[in-house]
Amino acid sequence: MIRRLLYYLAIFLPFSVLAQDDLLTLVKEEPKNDPPRSVYATFKTTKIVNSQTIETVKKRNLDFRVTHRFGNLYNSTSANALNEAAHNAFGLDNATDIRLSFDYGITDKLTIGIGRSKYREMNDASVKWRFLTQRENNTIPVSVCIYGNMGYTSMSTNNLYAGTVRPKTNEAHRIQYASQLLIARKFNSWFSLQIMPTYIHRNFIKQQLNTNNGKEDMNDLFSLGIGGRIKLSKRFAVVADYFYNFSQFQHNNPSGYYNPLGVGIEIETGGHVFHINYTNGAAILESSLLTSTQDSWTKGQIKLGFNISRWFTL
Amino acid sequence: MIRLMTTVLCAIIFMMSAQAQFYKGKADASSISFFSKSPLEDIDAVNKKVTVVLRTTTNDIQFAVPMIGFKFQKSLMEEHFNENYVESSKFPTSTFKGKITETIDYSKDGEYKVTVKGTLELHGVTKDIEASGTLTIKGAEIMVSSAFKIKVADYNIKVPSLYVQNIAEIVDVKVNATLEPFAKK
Repeated sequence: MIRRLLYYLAIFLPFSVLAQDDLLTLVKEEPKNDPPRSVYATFKTTKIVNSQTIETVKKRNLDFRVTHRFGNLYNSTSANALNEAAHNAFGLDNATDIRLSFDYGITDKLTIGIGRSKYREMNDASVKWRFLTQRENNTIPVSVCIYGNMGYTSMSTNNLYAGTVRPKTNEAHRIQYASQLLIARKFNSWFSLQIMPTYIHRNFIKQQLNTNNGKEDMNDLFSLGIGGRIKLSKRFAVVADYFYNFSQFQHNNPSGYYNPLGVGIEIETGGHVFHINYTNGAAILESSLLTSTQDSWTKGQIKLGFNISRWFTL
Repeated sequence: MIRLMTTVLCAIIFMMSAQAQFYKGKADASSISFFSKSPLEDIDAVNKKVTVVLRTTTNDIQFAVPMIGFKFQKSLMEEHFNENYVESSKFPTSTFKGKITETIDYSKDGEYKVTVKGTLELHGVTKDIEASGTLTIKGAEIMVSSAFKIKVADYNIKVPSLYVQNIAEIVDVKVNATLEPFAKK
Protein backbone atom coordinates (compact mmCIF):
# COMPACT_ATOMS: atom_id res chain seq x y z
CA MET A 1 0.00 0.00 0.00
CA ILE A 2 2.68 2.43 1.05
CA ARG A 3 4.67 1.49 -2.03
CA ARG A 4 1.65 2.34 -4.12
CA LEU A 5 1.27 5.66 -2.41
CA LEU A 6 4.87 6.46 -3.14
CA TYR A 7 4.25 5.38 -6.69
CA TYR A 8 1.39 7.89 -7.00
CA LEU A 9 3.45 10.54 -5.36
CA ALA A 10 6.27 9.97 -7.80
CA ILE A 11 3.83 10.48 -10.63
CA PHE A 12 2.13 13.52 -9.17
CA LEU A 13 5.16 15.41 -7.90
CA PRO A 14 6.45 16.66 -11.24
CA PHE A 15 2.96 17.99 -12.01
CA SER A 16 2.64 19.80 -8.74
CA VAL A 17 5.75 21.74 -9.73
CA LEU A 18 3.85 22.89 -12.78
CA ALA A 19 1.06 24.22 -10.64
CA GLN A 20 3.09 27.20 -9.55
CA ASP A 21 1.38 30.54 -9.43
CA ASP A 22 3.94 32.58 -11.21
CA LEU A 23 3.66 31.43 -14.78
CA LEU A 24 5.90 34.24 -15.91
CA THR A 25 8.94 32.51 -14.49
CA LEU A 26 8.39 29.83 -17.11
CA VAL A 27 9.47 32.15 -19.88
CA LYS A 28 11.86 34.36 -17.94
CA GLU A 29 15.11 32.70 -18.91
CA GLU A 30 14.69 33.26 -22.60
CA PRO A 31 17.77 34.83 -24.09
CA LYS A 32 17.26 38.48 -24.90
CA ASN A 33 19.24 39.93 -27.74
CA ASP A 34 17.92 43.45 -27.40
CA PRO A 35 20.56 46.14 -27.85
CA PRO A 36 21.75 47.48 -24.48
CA ARG A 37 19.62 50.36 -23.27
CA SER A 38 20.88 53.92 -23.16
CA VAL A 39 21.03 55.62 -19.82
CA TYR A 40 18.65 58.56 -19.74
CA ALA A 41 18.38 61.67 -17.57
CA THR A 42 21.99 61.86 -16.43
CA PHE A 43 21.16 65.48 -15.77
CA LYS A 44 17.81 67.17 -15.89
CA THR A 45 18.80 70.03 -18.12
CA THR A 46 21.59 71.27 -20.36
CA LYS A 47 23.39 73.19 -17.60
CA ILE A 48 24.61 72.36 -14.09
CA VAL A 49 25.28 75.85 -12.68
CA ASN A 50 27.95 77.46 -14.81
CA SER A 51 28.82 74.50 -16.96
CA GLN A 52 27.14 72.62 -19.75
CA THR A 53 25.97 69.06 -19.21
CA ILE A 54 25.99 66.09 -21.55
CA GLU A 55 22.25 66.52 -21.95
CA THR A 56 21.16 67.72 -25.34
CA VAL A 57 17.85 69.17 -26.42
CA LYS A 58 15.59 66.43 -27.74
CA LYS A 59 14.84 66.26 -31.44
CA ARG A 60 12.65 69.10 -32.71
CA ASN A 61 12.46 70.71 -29.30
CA LEU A 62 13.41 74.26 -28.53
CA ASP A 63 14.90 75.10 -25.18
CA PHE A 64 14.46 78.73 -24.23
CA ARG A 65 16.67 79.70 -21.32
CA VAL A 66 16.91 82.76 -19.15
CA THR A 67 20.07 82.82 -17.09
CA HIS A 68 20.59 85.58 -14.61
CA ARG A 69 23.36 86.54 -12.20
CA PHE A 70 22.64 89.25 -9.66
CA GLY A 71 25.35 91.36 -8.01
CA ASN A 72 27.67 90.39 -5.18
CA LEU A 73 25.95 89.36 -1.98
CA TYR A 74 28.62 91.03 0.09
CA ASN A 75 32.09 92.38 -0.49
CA SER A 76 34.37 92.06 2.51
CA THR A 77 37.13 94.03 0.78
CA SER A 78 35.00 97.16 0.83
CA ALA A 79 35.55 99.57 3.74
CA ASN A 80 31.85 99.83 4.51
CA ALA A 81 30.85 96.38 3.36
CA LEU A 82 27.60 95.83 5.25
CA ASN A 83 26.24 99.28 4.51
CA GLU A 84 27.09 98.86 0.85
CA ALA A 85 25.51 95.41 0.68
CA ALA A 86 22.34 96.66 2.34
CA HIS A 87 22.10 99.57 -0.10
CA ASN A 88 22.04 97.30 -3.11
CA ALA A 89 19.77 94.76 -1.41
CA PHE A 90 22.59 92.20 -1.08
CA GLY A 91 23.26 92.25 -4.77
CA LEU A 92 19.66 92.06 -5.94
CA ASP A 93 19.76 95.56 -7.39
CA ASN A 94 22.54 94.66 -9.78
CA ALA A 95 22.73 92.31 -12.69
CA THR A 96 26.25 91.16 -13.43
CA ASP A 97 25.14 89.10 -16.36
CA ILE A 98 21.93 88.15 -18.11
CA ARG A 99 21.80 85.62 -20.89
CA LEU A 100 18.91 84.73 -23.12
CA SER A 101 19.36 81.72 -25.32
CA PHE A 102 17.60 79.39 -27.68
CA ASP A 103 18.82 75.86 -28.24
CA TYR A 104 17.30 73.57 -30.81
CA GLY A 105 17.60 69.80 -31.11
CA ILE A 106 18.33 68.77 -34.69
CA THR A 107 18.50 65.17 -33.53
CA ASP A 108 18.33 63.72 -30.04
CA LYS A 109 22.11 63.99 -29.93
CA LEU A 110 22.89 67.18 -31.81
CA THR A 111 21.94 70.62 -30.52
CA ILE A 112 22.61 74.04 -31.97
CA GLY A 113 22.03 77.28 -30.15
CA ILE A 114 22.28 81.03 -30.13
CA GLY A 115 22.46 83.38 -27.20
CA ARG A 116 23.01 86.89 -26.06
CA SER A 117 24.80 87.87 -22.86
CA LYS A 118 25.00 91.21 -21.18
CA TYR A 119 28.55 90.63 -19.95
CA ARG A 120 30.88 92.15 -22.57
CA GLU A 121 27.92 92.27 -24.96
CA MET A 122 28.47 88.77 -26.22
CA ASN A 123 26.46 87.20 -29.01
CA ASP A 124 27.15 83.53 -29.32
CA ALA A 125 26.47 80.45 -31.35
CA SER A 126 27.04 76.96 -30.06
CA VAL A 127 27.02 73.31 -31.09
CA LYS A 128 26.80 70.32 -28.82
CA TRP A 129 27.09 66.77 -30.08
CA ARG A 130 26.79 63.70 -27.91
CA PHE A 131 28.74 61.04 -29.71
CA LEU A 132 28.76 58.46 -26.93
CA THR A 133 25.84 57.55 -24.69
CA GLN A 134 26.25 55.55 -21.53
CA ARG A 135 24.64 52.09 -21.69
CA GLU A 136 22.86 50.37 -18.85
CA ASN A 137 25.06 47.28 -19.13
CA ASN A 138 28.19 49.46 -19.04
CA THR A 139 29.43 48.46 -22.49
CA ILE A 140 29.79 52.23 -22.74
CA PRO A 141 30.44 53.44 -19.18
CA VAL A 142 30.14 57.18 -19.83
CA SER A 143 28.34 59.65 -22.04
CA VAL A 144 30.58 62.02 -23.94
CA CYS A 145 29.76 65.30 -25.67
CA ILE A 146 31.78 67.77 -27.56
CA TYR A 147 30.65 71.33 -27.05
CA GLY A 148 31.79 74.38 -28.94
CA ASN A 149 30.82 77.97 -28.45
CA MET A 150 31.83 81.02 -30.42
CA GLY A 151 31.18 84.45 -28.95
CA TYR A 152 31.20 87.71 -30.83
CA THR A 153 31.13 90.92 -28.88
CA SER A 154 29.20 93.80 -30.33
CA MET A 155 30.66 96.38 -27.95
CA SER A 156 31.83 99.70 -29.34
CA THR A 157 35.31 99.86 -30.80
CA ASN A 158 36.32 102.31 -28.09
CA ASN A 159 35.28 99.93 -25.36
CA LEU A 160 36.82 96.94 -27.05
CA TYR A 161 40.24 98.57 -27.22
CA ALA A 162 39.96 100.62 -24.03
CA GLY A 163 43.18 100.69 -22.04
CA THR A 164 45.33 99.46 -24.91
CA VAL A 165 47.52 101.07 -27.49
CA ARG A 166 44.85 100.74 -30.11
CA PRO A 167 45.88 98.22 -32.77
CA LYS A 168 44.57 98.13 -36.31
CA THR A 169 40.87 97.42 -35.93
CA ASN A 170 39.97 93.87 -36.85
CA GLU A 171 36.60 92.11 -36.64
CA ALA A 172 38.38 88.95 -35.53
CA HIS A 173 39.39 90.73 -32.33
CA ARG A 174 35.80 90.51 -31.20
CA ILE A 175 35.66 86.74 -31.24
CA GLN A 176 36.35 84.25 -28.45
CA TYR A 177 35.90 80.49 -28.39
CA ALA A 178 35.25 77.78 -25.86
CA SER A 179 35.62 74.09 -26.64
CA GLN A 180 34.80 71.42 -24.14
CA LEU A 181 34.74 67.71 -23.85
CA LEU A 182 31.97 66.73 -21.45
CA ILE A 183 32.34 63.30 -19.91
CA ALA A 184 29.58 62.20 -17.56
CA ARG A 185 28.46 59.11 -15.78
CA LYS A 186 25.16 58.45 -14.11
CA PHE A 187 26.21 56.20 -11.24
CA ASN A 188 22.69 55.48 -10.07
CA SER A 189 19.27 57.07 -10.14
CA TRP A 190 20.33 59.86 -7.78
CA PHE A 191 24.00 60.57 -8.47
CA SER A 192 25.64 61.85 -11.66
CA LEU A 193 29.15 63.20 -12.09
CA GLN A 194 30.79 64.99 -14.97
CA ILE A 195 34.30 66.15 -15.83
CA MET A 196 34.98 68.82 -18.40
CA PRO A 197 38.36 69.43 -19.99
CA THR A 198 38.02 72.91 -21.45
CA TYR A 199 40.01 74.99 -23.89
CA ILE A 200 39.37 78.66 -24.35
CA HIS A 201 40.80 80.93 -26.96
CA ARG A 202 40.34 84.66 -27.15
CA ASN A 203 41.50 86.29 -30.36
CA PHE A 204 42.30 89.55 -28.66
CA ILE A 205 43.42 90.21 -25.10
CA LYS A 206 44.79 93.25 -23.37
CA GLN A 207 48.39 92.96 -22.32
CA GLN A 208 48.34 92.29 -18.58
CA LEU A 209 51.08 91.21 -16.22
CA ASN A 210 50.89 89.23 -13.01
CA THR A 211 53.41 91.26 -11.03
CA ASN A 212 53.83 88.44 -8.50
CA ASN A 213 55.30 85.94 -10.94
CA GLY A 214 55.93 87.97 -14.09
CA LYS A 215 53.50 85.91 -16.20
CA GLU A 216 51.40 87.57 -18.87
CA ASP A 217 47.80 86.83 -19.70
CA MET A 218 47.53 84.45 -22.63
CA ASN A 219 45.11 84.05 -25.51
CA ASP A 220 44.71 80.38 -24.67
CA LEU A 221 43.44 78.99 -21.42
CA PHE A 222 43.07 75.40 -20.33
CA SER A 223 40.70 74.51 -17.57
CA LEU A 224 39.36 71.36 -16.00
CA GLY A 225 35.84 71.37 -14.68
CA ILE A 226 34.00 68.97 -12.43
CA GLY A 227 30.30 69.01 -11.74
CA GLY A 228 27.59 66.82 -10.37
CA ARG A 229 24.03 66.34 -9.34
CA ILE A 230 22.52 64.67 -6.33
CA LYS A 231 18.83 63.99 -6.77
CA LEU A 232 16.94 64.20 -3.51
CA SER A 233 13.45 63.55 -4.85
CA LYS A 234 11.70 63.08 -8.16
CA ARG A 235 11.72 66.80 -8.83
CA PHE A 236 14.38 68.22 -6.57
CA ALA A 237 18.16 68.01 -6.79
CA VAL A 238 21.32 69.70 -5.55
CA VAL A 239 23.84 70.68 -8.23
CA ALA A 240 27.39 72.04 -8.13
CA ASP A 241 30.29 72.65 -10.47
CA TYR A 242 33.85 73.90 -10.25
CA PHE A 243 36.54 74.83 -12.76
CA TYR A 244 40.27 74.73 -12.14
CA ASN A 245 42.10 77.08 -14.50
CA PHE A 246 45.61 76.11 -15.61
CA SER A 247 46.78 79.69 -15.86
CA GLN A 248 49.94 81.00 -14.29
CA PHE A 249 48.74 84.49 -14.98
CA GLN A 250 45.63 83.91 -12.87
CA HIS A 251 47.29 82.09 -9.97
CA ASN A 252 48.48 84.29 -7.16
CA ASN A 253 47.58 87.39 -9.12
CA PRO A 254 47.56 90.60 -7.04
CA SER A 255 44.42 91.78 -8.84
CA GLY A 256 42.75 88.54 -7.79
CA TYR A 257 41.60 85.77 -10.13
CA TYR A 258 39.64 82.84 -8.81
CA ASN A 259 38.30 79.53 -9.99
CA PRO A 260 34.53 79.66 -10.43
CA LEU A 261 32.45 77.54 -8.09
CA GLY A 262 28.70 77.29 -8.41
CA VAL A 263 26.29 75.61 -6.02
CA GLY A 264 22.57 75.43 -6.54
CA ILE A 265 19.29 73.63 -6.29
CA GLU A 266 17.28 72.31 -9.19
CA ILE A 267 13.50 72.12 -9.29
CA GLU A 268 11.74 70.38 -12.11
CA THR A 269 8.07 70.87 -12.90
CA GLY A 270 7.62 69.00 -16.16
CA GLY A 271 8.39 71.35 -19.00
CA HIS A 272 10.26 73.86 -16.82
CA VAL A 273 13.47 73.45 -14.91
CA PHE A 274 14.41 76.10 -12.37
CA HIS A 275 17.84 76.56 -10.92
CA ILE A 276 18.55 78.81 -7.98
CA ASN A 277 22.22 79.06 -7.29
CA TYR A 278 25.16 80.96 -5.89
CA THR A 279 28.38 81.44 -7.81
CA ASN A 280 31.45 83.67 -7.64
CA GLY A 281 31.63 83.80 -11.43
CA ALA A 282 30.35 87.03 -12.93
CA ALA A 283 29.81 85.93 -16.49
CA ILE A 284 27.67 83.12 -17.86
CA LEU A 285 29.29 82.29 -21.19
CA GLU A 286 32.16 79.83 -20.60
CA SER A 287 34.77 81.84 -22.48
CA SER A 288 34.02 84.91 -20.34
CA LEU A 289 33.45 83.07 -17.08
CA LEU A 290 36.77 81.27 -16.95
CA THR A 291 38.85 84.25 -18.03
CA SER A 292 37.30 86.92 -15.87
CA THR A 293 36.26 85.54 -12.49
CA GLN A 294 37.69 88.07 -10.07
CA ASP A 295 35.35 87.49 -7.18
CA SER A 296 35.89 85.09 -4.33
CA TRP A 297 33.59 82.99 -2.16
CA THR A 298 35.75 83.69 0.88
CA LYS A 299 35.18 87.44 0.50
CA GLY A 300 31.43 87.03 0.24
CA GLN A 301 31.54 88.02 -3.42
CA ILE A 302 28.96 85.54 -4.52
CA LYS A 303 25.99 86.20 -6.68
CA LEU A 304 22.53 84.82 -6.47
CA GLY A 305 21.56 83.44 -9.82
CA PHE A 306 18.86 81.55 -11.56
CA ASN A 307 18.52 79.53 -14.69
CA ILE A 308 15.09 78.95 -16.11
CA SER A 309 14.58 76.52 -18.90
CA ARG A 310 11.38 76.05 -20.84
CA TRP A 311 11.06 73.42 -23.54
CA PHE A 312 8.81 73.81 -26.52
CA THR A 313 8.01 71.00 -28.88
CA LEU A 314 8.00 72.30 -32.42
CA MET B 1 -8.55 -3.31 -9.19
CA ILE B 2 -5.90 -1.02 -7.84
CA ARG B 3 -3.68 -1.82 -10.76
CA LEU B 4 -6.50 -0.85 -13.11
CA MET B 5 -7.06 2.39 -11.23
CA THR B 6 -3.39 3.18 -11.43
CA THR B 7 -3.32 2.59 -15.12
CA VAL B 8 -6.37 4.76 -15.68
CA LEU B 9 -4.97 7.51 -13.50
CA CYS B 10 -1.67 7.39 -15.30
CA ALA B 11 -3.47 7.55 -18.62
CA ILE B 12 -5.51 10.54 -17.46
CA ILE B 13 -2.43 12.32 -16.17
CA PHE B 14 -0.55 11.73 -19.40
CA MET B 15 -3.52 12.91 -21.41
CA MET B 16 -3.73 15.94 -19.23
CA SER B 17 -0.07 16.64 -19.66
CA ALA B 18 -0.53 16.39 -23.40
CA GLN B 19 -3.35 18.90 -23.14
CA ALA B 20 -1.95 20.93 -20.25
CA GLN B 21 -0.89 23.53 -22.62
CA PHE B 22 1.08 26.59 -21.86
CA TYR B 23 0.85 29.39 -24.31
CA LYS B 24 3.19 32.34 -24.47
CA GLY B 25 3.26 35.52 -26.48
CA LYS B 26 4.84 35.18 -29.90
CA ALA B 27 7.96 37.26 -30.30
CA ASP B 28 7.08 40.87 -31.24
CA ALA B 29 3.41 40.01 -31.69
CA SER B 30 2.14 41.42 -28.40
CA SER B 31 1.69 45.01 -27.41
CA ILE B 32 0.27 47.12 -24.64
CA SER B 33 -0.55 50.70 -25.38
CA PHE B 34 -2.07 53.51 -23.41
CA PHE B 35 -3.75 56.69 -24.38
CA SER B 36 -4.33 59.78 -22.31
CA LYS B 37 -6.67 62.39 -23.70
CA SER B 38 -6.77 65.78 -22.05
CA PRO B 39 -7.72 69.33 -23.03
CA LEU B 40 -4.13 70.32 -23.79
CA GLU B 41 -2.37 67.22 -24.93
CA ASP B 42 -2.92 63.71 -26.24
CA ILE B 43 -0.36 61.25 -25.04
CA ASP B 44 0.03 57.76 -26.39
CA ALA B 45 2.67 55.14 -25.95
CA VAL B 46 3.20 51.58 -27.14
CA ASN B 47 5.13 48.80 -25.51
CA LYS B 48 6.10 45.77 -27.55
CA LYS B 49 8.33 44.16 -24.95
CA VAL B 50 5.46 42.31 -23.32
CA THR B 51 5.67 38.82 -21.84
CA VAL B 52 2.40 36.85 -21.75
CA VAL B 53 1.73 33.37 -20.46
CA LEU B 54 -1.60 31.52 -20.60
CA ARG B 55 -2.30 28.18 -18.96
CA THR B 56 -5.33 26.70 -20.64
CA THR B 57 -5.97 24.07 -17.96
CA THR B 58 -6.57 26.67 -15.25
CA ASN B 59 -7.46 29.72 -17.38
CA ASP B 60 -4.56 31.58 -15.77
CA ILE B 61 -3.25 34.50 -17.75
CA GLN B 62 -0.30 36.62 -16.74
CA PHE B 63 1.50 39.62 -18.22
CA ALA B 64 4.84 41.22 -17.45
CA VAL B 65 5.59 44.65 -18.89
CA PRO B 66 8.94 46.40 -18.56
CA MET B 67 8.01 50.05 -17.99
CA ILE B 68 11.02 51.33 -19.90
CA GLY B 69 9.67 49.60 -22.98
CA PHE B 70 6.95 52.20 -23.52
CA LYS B 71 7.78 54.23 -26.60
CA PHE B 72 6.37 57.71 -26.96
CA GLN B 73 6.27 59.98 -29.97
CA LYS B 74 8.13 62.66 -28.04
CA SER B 75 11.29 61.56 -26.34
CA LEU B 76 10.92 64.22 -23.65
CA MET B 77 7.59 62.65 -22.68
CA GLU B 78 9.26 59.28 -22.50
CA GLU B 79 11.91 60.63 -20.16
CA HIS B 80 9.33 62.30 -17.95
CA PHE B 81 7.18 59.17 -17.93
CA ASN B 82 10.09 57.09 -16.65
CA GLU B 83 11.64 59.69 -14.37
CA ASN B 84 8.69 61.51 -12.84
CA TYR B 85 5.59 59.38 -13.15
CA VAL B 86 6.14 55.63 -13.11
CA GLU B 87 9.68 55.82 -11.69
CA SER B 88 11.02 53.00 -13.84
CA SER B 89 14.29 52.67 -11.97
CA LYS B 90 12.40 51.93 -8.74
CA PHE B 91 9.55 49.93 -10.24
CA PRO B 92 10.91 48.42 -13.44
CA THR B 93 8.07 46.00 -14.27
CA SER B 94 4.33 46.04 -14.13
CA THR B 95 2.61 42.66 -13.87
CA PHE B 96 -0.91 41.40 -14.26
CA LYS B 97 -1.93 38.05 -12.82
CA GLY B 98 -5.45 36.93 -13.49
CA LYS B 99 -7.89 34.31 -14.59
CA ILE B 100 -10.33 34.09 -17.46
CA THR B 101 -13.70 33.61 -15.78
CA GLU B 102 -15.43 31.78 -18.65
CA THR B 103 -14.85 28.15 -19.52
CA ILE B 104 -13.38 27.86 -22.94
CA ASP B 105 -12.84 24.85 -25.14
CA TYR B 106 -9.32 25.55 -26.32
CA SER B 107 -9.43 22.71 -28.81
CA LYS B 108 -12.08 24.45 -30.93
CA ASP B 109 -11.52 27.41 -33.20
CA GLY B 110 -13.69 30.39 -32.50
CA GLU B 111 -14.12 33.79 -30.94
CA TYR B 112 -15.06 34.10 -27.31
CA LYS B 113 -16.13 37.12 -25.28
CA VAL B 114 -14.19 36.83 -22.05
CA THR B 115 -13.81 38.57 -18.74
CA VAL B 116 -10.52 38.55 -16.93
CA LYS B 117 -10.23 39.10 -13.21
CA GLY B 118 -6.99 39.59 -11.42
CA THR B 119 -4.47 41.89 -9.85
CA LEU B 120 -2.41 44.56 -11.53
CA GLU B 121 0.83 45.69 -10.02
CA LEU B 122 1.98 49.08 -11.25
CA HIS B 123 4.28 51.66 -9.67
CA GLY B 124 4.58 49.47 -6.57
CA VAL B 125 0.80 49.38 -6.00
CA THR B 126 -1.24 46.20 -6.43
CA LYS B 127 -4.93 46.52 -7.20
CA ASP B 128 -7.73 44.18 -8.24
CA ILE B 129 -8.98 44.83 -11.73
CA GLU B 130 -11.44 43.33 -14.13
CA ALA B 131 -11.35 43.67 -17.87
CA SER B 132 -13.39 42.35 -20.72
CA GLY B 133 -12.06 41.37 -24.07
CA THR B 134 -12.06 38.77 -26.77
CA LEU B 135 -10.16 35.56 -27.14
CA THR B 136 -9.83 34.10 -30.61
CA ILE B 137 -8.61 30.60 -31.22
CA LYS B 138 -7.29 29.89 -34.66
CA GLY B 139 -5.43 26.65 -35.14
CA ALA B 140 -2.49 26.55 -32.79
CA GLU B 141 -2.62 30.27 -32.07
CA ILE B 142 -4.68 32.22 -29.56
CA MET B 143 -5.31 35.93 -29.99
CA VAL B 144 -6.23 37.99 -26.95
CA SER B 145 -7.38 41.56 -26.98
CA SER B 146 -8.77 43.79 -24.29
CA ALA B 147 -9.31 47.41 -23.45
CA PHE B 148 -9.74 48.80 -19.99
CA LYS B 149 -9.24 51.97 -17.98
CA ILE B 150 -6.78 52.79 -15.25
CA LYS B 151 -7.14 55.61 -12.78
CA VAL B 152 -3.67 57.09 -12.49
CA ALA B 153 -4.19 58.17 -8.89
CA ASP B 154 -5.04 54.59 -7.84
CA TYR B 155 -1.46 53.62 -8.48
CA ASN B 156 0.04 56.48 -6.53
CA ILE B 157 1.19 58.24 -9.69
CA LYS B 158 1.07 61.92 -8.90
CA VAL B 159 0.42 64.52 -11.54
CA PRO B 160 1.56 68.00 -10.47
CA SER B 161 -1.28 70.51 -10.46
CA LEU B 162 0.46 72.43 -13.24
CA TYR B 163 0.00 69.43 -15.54
CA VAL B 164 -3.53 68.43 -14.66
CA GLN B 165 -4.54 69.96 -17.98
CA ASN B 166 -2.02 67.84 -19.87
CA ILE B 167 -2.47 64.41 -18.34
CA ALA B 168 -5.80 62.60 -18.08
CA GLU B 169 -6.94 61.25 -14.72
CA ILE B 170 -8.10 58.06 -16.36
CA VAL B 171 -5.95 56.42 -18.98
CA ASP B 172 -7.18 53.98 -21.63
CA VAL B 173 -5.13 50.82 -21.89
CA LYS B 174 -5.25 48.44 -24.84
CA VAL B 175 -3.82 44.96 -24.84
CA ASN B 176 -3.21 42.84 -27.91
CA ALA B 177 -1.41 39.55 -27.81
CA THR B 178 -0.88 36.58 -30.07
CA LEU B 179 0.05 33.44 -28.23
CA GLU B 180 1.53 30.18 -29.37
CA PRO B 181 1.96 26.91 -27.48
CA PHE B 182 5.24 26.22 -25.86
CA ALA B 183 6.64 23.24 -24.04
CA LYS B 184 8.00 23.74 -20.59
CA LYS B 185 11.69 22.96 -20.56
